[in-house]
Amino acid sequence: MVRPAPAREKTVNGLVLPDDAAPYSEQVLRLPCDNTRNETTFDSAVTIYQVFGCGGNLFGDTLVDLDKDFTPRPAAAASWSVADDGVTWTFRLREGMMWSDGTPVTAHDYVATFRLEATPEHGWDFSWFYTALGDGGIANWTRVVAGELPPEELGVRAIDELTLEIVTEGFFPPFPGAMKFGYVLQKRALEQHGPFYNNDPATSVSSGPYILDEFDPGNRIILVANPDYTGYRPARLARIEGIYMSPATYFIAFQTGEIDLVSDGALTPTDFISIDRDPVLRDNYLRHYGDFRTDYILFDTFNPPFDDLDVRKAFAFSVDREAIVRGVYGEIKAMPAHSMLMPGFPAADTEGTLAGFQHFDCGLARQHLAAAGFPGGDGFPGLEMWLRGEAPALAAVYQATAASIAQCLKIDLQVSNKDGKVFMDALNARPTRLQLGAVSYGMDFLDPANLLGAWVSTGRHSWKNEAFDQAVVGASRLLGNPDRRLQMFRDAERILVDDVGGVFIAHRWQGDLFKPHVLGDSFRQPDSNGVYGRHWGNDWFWGDVYIGKRE
Amino acid sequence: MADYIIRRLISLVFVLLAVSAIVFAMMHAVPGGPFDTQQGHLPPAARENILRKYGLDKPVWQQYLNYMSHALRFDFGIPYQQPQTTVAALIAKTWSVTLQVGVMTIIVAFGLGITAGKFAAYHQNSWIDNLVTFTATLGVTVPNFVVAMWFILFFGVARQWLPVGGWGVSHCLFGSWFCTDWILPVAAYALAPMAVVARYTRSSIVDVIREDYVRTARAKGLAESLVMKRHVLRNAQIPMVTALGTEIPNLITGSIFIETTFRINGLGKFFVTSTLHRDYPMIMATFLLVALLWGVTYMLTDIAYTMIDPRVRLGARGEGHG
Repeated sequence: MVRPAPAREKTVNGLVLPDDAAPYSEQVLRLPCDNTRNETTFDSAVTIYQVFGCGGNLFGDTLVDLDKDFTPRPAAAASWSVADDGVTWTFRLREGMMWSDGTPVTAHDYVATFRLEATPEHGWDFSWFYTALGDGGIANWTRVVAGELPPEELGVRAIDELTLEIVTEGFFPPFPGAMKFGYVLQKRALEQHGPFYNNDPATSVSSGPYILDEFDPGNRIILVANPDYTGYRPARLARIEGIYMSPATYFIAFQTGEIDLVSDGALTPTDFISIDRDPVLRDNYLRHYGDFRTDYILFDTFNPPFDDLDVRKAFAFSVDREAIVRGVYGEIKAMPAHSMLMPGFPAADTEGTLAGFQHFDCGLARQHLAAAGFPGGDGFPGLEMWLRGEAPALAAVYQATAASIAQCLKIDLQVSNKDGKVFMDALNARPTRLQLGAVSYGMDFLDPANLLGAWVSTGRHSWKNEAFDQAVVGASRLLGNPDRRLQMFRDAERILVDDVGGVFIAHRWQGDLFKPHVLGDSFRQPDSNGVYGRHWGNDWFWGDVYIGKRE
Repeated sequence: MADYIIRRLISLVFVLLAVSAIVFAMMHAVPGGPFDTQQGHLPPAARENILRKYGLDKPVWQQYLNYMSHALRFDFGIPYQQPQTTVAALIAKTWSVTLQVGVMTIIVAFGLGITAGKFAAYHQNSWIDNLVTFTATLGVTVPNFVVAMWFILFFGVARQWLPVGGWGVSHCLFGSWFCTDWILPVAAYALAPMAVVARYTRSSIVDVIREDYVRTARAKGLAESLVMKRHVLRNAQIPMVTALGTEIPNLITGSIFIETTFRINGLGKFFVTSTLHRDYPMIMATFLLVALLWGVTYMLTDIAYTMIDPRVRLGARGEGHG
């Protein structure tokens, strides 16, 4: 007698679980929450740098999401278009989206959120973003943030309940990608309870795939699937449990089975050795681009000794990147960098042609130092390279970098790991108080205008090159010719490495260690470059991930 | 005694005022502010808005006066790390946990430390003495976060005998009278103070044992247990109280290493994170709390002297200890 196959279980949203899924009652994902970070909110619209690392941004859908190749895909906005003027963008919201209190999600909610972000009194810590976008910035953003115009003058308005219009300052073709940051808070809850309404289950209201069930800061966060969710990423999970702990104990908690996922930032070099030795762990550590982060050295090029290009070139040719990646990072965590843009990022130098400008050649490095008037390092001033409060693993990388430079050039170069705020205070001072430092930078959105824009002379680096500025600004504004645009960015990056705005050390691979029973195409399937893992900005992960049957 | 306590409490108020002024000045003198981000892109206008919102746009002296006027009414402000609560509420919530950890640690550390110290002193140069000395040296020299990781790896990961995180959230027995997740944090936290207690206890007793009045008591035929109780332990207590009293404020204000390693939501971590994040209200509150605890501890230590040795007169000028 043939027994009928058991009926596949459904989620609270009526979604049928995959064949290999565990019963719905076991669809629980346990995550570590960092108990050493300064985190204050679930919503990036309130503060982006203090948002909860576990459970953040799950109570609403951004206008746009990204696919595995970082191409914008519909999220809360079902579609979008730009008018003939090139600056008026229309986002059509998905029909039927609801808040967990039974009210509909409307364009007015998005307008209220954008206005909150720009409100001077709110002091949003990401408000620099729409200013830094230049032409891609929302119209009047900078003046509203400065208090010169009321928030109502912002270039965002609701045409009707489901149509949102956003006007930008100028032409900016990649603007839909920037709407990855098009967050939503409920207008009514904002008015009644203020921006932290989601920190209390009694006032929390969600239009995202999960709702807040329990929140005990410092102890645990419990989210459950939102039964009223009608958006693009309905949860397969029944529940997410966030357990507060120190990153130093994440791997231990993972090994004892208390959590299902650890990101690379909490894994030490010793942990990576354990992962490498264990085939199950190795197969379940899924490496990805992360935010295309690059570690590099920066200079004050307006003052001696780094106002001399030969000195900068001497530094650029004295870093043994391959040895540092092999011996300090480990090849699972980084690849040698010869430029700012990591291969895989648009306009990146995938052919490696820029390596000619920055690579390890100690003989050439010494020639440049001699040309600068310091043969054999004689007479070169002793220097201190500052770090931005780095954890031991990354501090070791920069120590190795400094050692490579000092050994090759025979100069006195010390490393000082400063408090993060002290470092940033010195870096941002004008004129800068940071003569020499090492730091990392990752993208905010997938366009060279972001990562190369950070090097424009109005940015934080004390380096200026007119040709570079013109190329980056010109490319950022270029509409209708994507190939030409990317070539302009490539030209700009060549100027950056040739003029040694910075010395690029390594591009960091990031990754997550999953339990084998944590499944989902969003991270178990590769992108078009064959890279697996949970890609940056792929918020659809939270609807895709599920718990598989255990062996 | 009452006059003495009143005088000490008044002087404590001045100490707290001095501490508050020094800490306030120092934390504002350090580069970087609470709302400077790692990205450092905050536009001047946005930065000014935030500073205005938290009253940080005013001169430092004015901020200090504002702070103190509120603090005198027990309003210690809003912690920047958890703006949905108040400093007082956050401290009340987290310190209660830290106090539990601290009190248990004191009981374990002092109970075992004094016992071990006594044994070592009674059996000088024996294997017991050597063992106590070795353990005490280990306890003092190995940091508690290293001990914590050893315990976790052995008892949690390798043997899986004990839970490695949380505080009273799981594995509780007899209602909530005993939870197995207390064992590792208290053991790791207690090791160092236990070592200190054992060493001080041993050296104090050894010093007294050699005194003439102890030898005289023995010569008079007094039983050894009475010699120890009446003459040795009683006289050994004053240096012990002096040395050990200062351990208590440390233990009841928590340890960031123990709390973060064992996932205890206590006050200890805020001593460090508040400074790192330039959380001014929490920095002030935690420093004032520590100053208050130290002041009270010293006062109680002095009072304890009079109870141990009636010859000690509190507040008397020009008098020695007899």
